[in-house]
Amino acid sequence: MFGLIGHLTNLEQAQTVARDLGYSGLADQDLEFWCSAPPQTVDNITVTSVTGQTIEGRYVESCFLPEMLANRRIKAATRKIVNAMAHAQKIGLDITALGGFSSIVFENFNLNQIQRIRNITLDFKRFTTGNTHTAYIICRQVEQAAPKLGIELSKATVAVVGATGDIGSAVCRWLNTKTDVADMILVARDRARLQALQEELGRGKVMGLEEALPHADIVVWVASLPKGIEIDFDSLKKPCLTIDGGYPKNLDSKLKHPGVYVLKGGIVEHSLDIDWRIMKLVNMDVPTRQMFACFAESMLLEFEKWYTNFSWGRNQISVEKMQAIGDVSIKHGFKPLLSIVES
Amino acid sequence: MPQLEATPTIDYQSDTYKDAYSRINAIVIEGENEAYDNFVKLAEMLPENKDELISLAKMERRHAKGFQACGRNLEVTPDMDFAREFFSKLHGNFEKAAEEDDIVTCLVIQALIIECFAISAYNIYIPVADDFARKITEGVVKDEYTHLNYGEEWLKANFDDVKERIETANRENLPLVWKMLNQVENDARVLNMEKEELIEDFTIAYGEALANVGFNTRETVRMLTHGLRSAA
Ligand SMILES: [Fe+2]
Ligand SMILES: [Fe+2]
Repeated sequence: MFGLIGHLTNLEQAQTVARDLGYSGLADQDLEFWCSAPPQTVDNITVTSVTGQTIEGRYVESCFLPEMLANRRIKAATRKIVNAMAHAQKIGLDITALGGFSSIVFENFNLNQIQRIRNITLDFKRFTTGNTHTAYIICRQVEQAAPKLGIELSKATVAVVGATGDIGSAVCRWLNTKTDVADMILVARDRARLQALQEELGRGKVMGLEEALPHADIVVWVASLPKGIEIDFDSLKKPCLTIDGGYPKNLDSKLKHPGVYVLKGGIVEHSLDIDWRIMKLVNMDVPTRQMFACFAESMLLEFEKWYTNFSWGRNQISVEKMQAIGDVSIKHGFKPLLSIVES
Repeated sequence: MPQLEATPTIDYQSDTYKDAYSRINAIVIEGENEAYDNFVKLAEMLPENKDELISLAKMERRHAKGFQACGRNLEVTPDMDFAREFFSKLHGNFEKAAEEDDIVTCLVIQALIIECFAISAYNIYIPVADDFARKITEGVVKDEYTHLNYGEEWLKANFDDVKERIETANRENLPLVWKMLNQVENDARVLNMEKEELIEDFTIAYGEALANVGFNTRETVRMLTHGLRSAA
């Protein structure tokens, strides 16, 4: 049995979803309440592969809300994540993906030090960040969407924003060895880590964001920012493909910019309908088929019975692992989302 | 990303700490004493489980002795009057149910609510306790899980017959727990135990117990949130 640990995007949405799911007691509660709310199993999921194999899973709502980070309720935020993990383990889930902020909070606050939760010792082998599959899907989105816009990779410059992160560094490794992309620009805050990445790749230019944007034919956004950033769309090349794979989404623009194309990054589409209720409530365009690639990773690990923390720790994602998860992703009928929107 | 603040060091010998401890320690001792009485009472009400219930009762007596030692170790005199008053309403509800031979309500109060209250409070206390109290509390909390388990198993085995009765007992007694948590909020904070964490751990333990007994997620959430708002 696989699991997904999820959370809602804000307090208002949490209240609406609680009402829609019939949890009347939760619908009128404030942030204070969510800070002391327990994790809950809120959905049973059935997924069928194109091979015909069927698997079962559970969706665990951690009751984490991003407002907890914004309001400095850090301890509450970290408790939500480890409590949801303990819950997942207690109900017997074999492999569970840490969705959305869960893996970011886990990594950032070194929650691997908190292995003992009450009478449970967390078995980290049962959890995956799902970042390997997310990185793979983002790369495939680059490779498949660019030609649709007339961008040839062999002549293109790709800027990776958040290049030294877990997903960002994996994307750089893949683009470096699996594609003939002409040039890479690495954007991140930490100088030392940027240098290390540049050395590992043996290429790539280090630039600040504003300097980088006018050079890029493709921009991959994978920074984990507390909220979206504003960029000067006029400075972008036309056409420019921007793939927003950050969580939460890095780009926050509702303005029209002809020639700038936006693709939701790290999202997959399954070939068959999935039986679940929860996705109808969390802002996917085609809720029976679309989901975050990190969630899909736990499904893939369940299909293949690879009961191990496939994606774990920081900057451990190799091209070989991306290829391995990519192969089973295709085998079971998952495809990168390719619906490009002109922003 | 903001940073996680470090856990402050605790001065177990300070007057502030000892003052708060005199009430918290008393509550724990009184809770264990009442748990002893309650399991002895349950043994009378459930003669077929008498031996098991008496052995559970004896554990509670040991727990009370252990926590008395914790108080002595810090040279604190527990304020037992405060503690008896603290438990009086919940205790009254148990006695009333026992008089009416209402086994379900008695089990909900002792084996689910009080045990979950103890489990959550002890689990939150362990990381911030003094070395002496930590060892004792670690031993105690293991026992409390077996007490909780007894209640879960009995109610689960009779679930269809007792479901409504459990819901009524929950409605009548859970609001008392929220009030009790509010009453100890300030003293608990001196011991580095946050109310938010206490509520969270209680709802996790109690929610799991209700699920083990047979309630579905929606019923569990409805029961857990009962009376929470009016108490806050
Ligand atoms: Fe006890
Ligand atoms: Fe007990």
